[in-house]
Amino acid sequence: MSGPLTGVRGIVLTQAWAGTYCTELLAMAGADIIQLEVRKRPDSWRGTYTTPMMDAVAEVPTAEHPWNVNPHFNSVNLGKRSFTVDLSTPEGLELYRSLVPYADVVAENFSPRVMGNLGLSYEELKAIKPDIIMASLSAYGHEGPWANVPGIGGTIEPTSGMSALFGYPDGPPMNSGQMYPDAVAGLYGFASIVTALYHRDRTGEGQYIDLSMQEANLANIGDAAMQHALLGEQRPRLGNRDLTSAPHGIYEAQPGAEGERRWVAIAAENDAQWSALCAVSARGWEGDPLFADNAARKQHEDDLDRAIAEWTASEDRDALADRVLAAGGLAAPVLDALEVAEDPVLRERGVIVELDHPEAGRWPQVGAPFHFSRTPARVERPAPTQGQHSREVFREFLGMRDERYEELVAKNITGEGPPA
Amino acid sequence: MSEAAPPPAGALHGIQVLDVSTSMAGAWCSRMFADFGADVSVVEAPSGHPLREREPQTEDGRSVAAEHALANKRSLSLDLEAEPGRELLRDLVTQVDVLIESFAPGTLEGWGLDYETLRAIHPELVVVSLTPHGQDGAYASLPGNSLTASARSGWASINGFAGQPPLQTSQYQGDYCSGVLAYGAAVAALHERADVGQPGQHIDISEFEVMASTFSPAALRAQYSGENPPRKETMDVTAGPVPVADGHFALTLSRAHFYRDAMNVLGLPDLAEDEQLQEGWYRNSHRELWVDRVHDAMAGWSRQDLFDELGVRRVVAGPVLAMEELRENDHLRDRGFWVRPDGHSHDGEPAESDIEHSEYSEYTGAPAKLSASPWRLQRRAPRVGEHTIELLGEYDIEEERVRHLIETGVLASEVAPSAGAPR
Repeated sequence: MSGPLTGVRGIVLTQAWAGTYCTELLAMAGADIIQLEVRKRPDSWRGTYTTPMMDAVAEVPTAEHPWNVNPHFNSVNLGKRSFTVDLSTPEGLELYRSLVPYADVVAENFSPRVMGNLGLSYEELKAIKPDIIMASLSAYGHEGPWANVPGIGGTIEPTSGMSALFGYPDGPPMNSGQMYPDAVAGLYGFASIVTALYHRDRTGEGQYIDLSMQEANLANIGDAAMQHALLGEQRPRLGNRDLTSAPHGIYEAQPGAEGERRWVAIAAENDAQWSALCAVSARGWEGDPLFADNAARKQHEDDLDRAIAEWTASEDRDALADRVLAAGGLAAPVLDALEVAEDPVLRERGVIVELDHPEAGRWPQVGAPFHFSRTPARVERPAPTQGQHSREVFREFLGMRDERYEELVAKNITGEGPPA
Repeated sequence: MSEAAPPPAGALHGIQVLDVSTSMAGAWCSRMFADFGADVSVVEAPSGHPLREREPQTEDGRSVAAEHALANKRSLSLDLEAEPGRELLRDLVTQVDVLIESFAPGTLEGWGLDYETLRAIHPELVVVSLTPHGQDGAYASLPGNSLTASARSGWASINGFAGQPPLQTSQYQGDYCSGVLAYGAAVAALHERADVGQPGQHIDISEFEVMASTFSPAALRAQYSGENPPRKETMDVTAGPVPVADGHFALTLSRAHFYRDAMNVLGLPDLAEDEQLQEGWYRNSHRELWVDRVHDAMAGWSRQDLFDELGVRRVVAGPVLAMEELRENDHLRDRGFWVRPDGHSHDGEPAESDIEHSEYSEYTGAPAKLSASPWRLQRRAPRVGEHTIELLGEYDIEEERVRHLIETGVLASEVAPSAGAPR
């Protein structure tokens, strides 16, 4: 590891997406992130112990345990180590407590009551490690009337105001294609923890971070909130449109080689980009009074969208995007998930990485999204298998001998897979 | 009467930031710096930051986006198209900790303000570049925005309905996510600088890469399954909110007990007891067995009643809330989420006429509550050049030079130089 957070250690209890993405970003920036997992109730992003493997990964000879080859878990835990502890036993709890002195950061995204019930509240952790930074990522925060209302990305999207903004202009409120609010909360969790580390650098003081996914996501649509505050209006669902400029849409292109539908994003944020689009399309738009300037285009946006869609329908997605871009316009192909992994720029810039996972094998996946000139972030570890590093972690920090480790495994306090 | 203790200083107290960016992404990055205590100046052209042109606008011509994203900063209005403007910026940059920029790659180099040049004169500087596609690679020079980031990152391919066009993420989402990630990365660099005594560095953030990062679960799922995750065929309870009596409501059923308890609340005990349907993966591949009946049962409920009944049973569920409902929401009020800039936090409600003015209008508050070094909103968005004179005084720029730059139109200031006693 060589990122700017080299030397920082988190011994964390994050799970699912918001928490794990938060701590994955710390790991990708160089921190040593050691993730606690619980065998009795595996991380929901590992699936249950009986969730079937997905088709392609099931063909990998080393793919043995479904919970170790779940793409959800394996996509958001790069660069971490995993150890298991049964926190419902006094012995397991003591084991975790004995690791806390080695941590700079503890992060968790349980329901608000869980850490307190375990005796692992901020005050209790602080008593063990006075300058500890503890971050709790929860649905609605640790205080307030909704503190104990459970929530996940799929319900935070509606309750944060995001769903009301998201959808087709004439359609119902929608959720994103995968629980987007988790990713947003993870980003703010990362930023908050780094902020707290900097505060500790300067003052020696740790602190507690109470992150409400609802609030983080509302902050991420703060301009729509400001629209209500200043103008008293709910922002309408925009589909693919923009508040200011037109055109701004996703249009159907020629079908792909196997008849699949393909799409291209096209926009013009200024007159130069509009002129480029007119030149490439050669459909006489530049002379059309309906499209004379941005105000006219915005006013006649339905007509404009129809005209563009008629043009793109017989065009190749990629060739069209290239031509618009070459002329100085604004366009991009709509890539599907498999194409994203092949994107040459993501590969060249090291954002798509291939790492050998002990069970899943080698697949392209998305790694670190930041580029540091002097302390480059290198993702060297795939997501861990459940409990992969238990023995290593206990030995490294507690000097635990193998007999003691085996004893703990026999008691189901650590180990791998469904408890015996 | 005892005086209230002063609020604790933000974590970045004393950190100086210049933001010469022209995008929402850059503005949000510097807003995070300001909110956590840094002294941030937005360096904008005399014609104003481009966000000021964005719709919607108030009757007196203020952009909602600018009022939101430029808050907590001071404005220094400076024309970077003119060489004397760039010369002045060079003098200012040597005095700050962080420079945030969003120009097309190569632009700063052409102006003699690129990282390598700046590093030579000020090694401690951290430069944050936020661009659509990053500083190098085949897309570096291409324009982009949140729409194209949605397209290239894969998000659009999974958003929306299968029979309709793919959907971008909501307005500015690529910008916000990139802004907060860039902020976190820059503070990580400041941490390294403080902790190890190292110089600064250049941080390259690509907006489409940030959105690809938030797309990573679907991307790996496609690999492991061998096929692309499809857009939803229909709006059903497994995909998102569905209609109830007074709006829309989401029921995610991600754990077995959520499913059982929800079916019982909805008066569907036979579904609750069905053994095969206890497993999420089985439910998802046999929707015909249960989804329509759940929709019919939900249609009779109000959002609040359903939320209350399910909440008591700790079942994950949530109503679709509009902004007005969120601004009145008891929970958010109790947590003090909605805030007015310091000095404008009235105990009572402001007069109706004041609400129009952003000094008194409410902003979204802390995205996270930090106990020792809290988030804080101290200023409304500045007017163009509101602090030009004040800031140049603080940076010890000679009054004569300032006067000349104003006369030649390189600097714009609300106040005349002579009136500008610094601070």
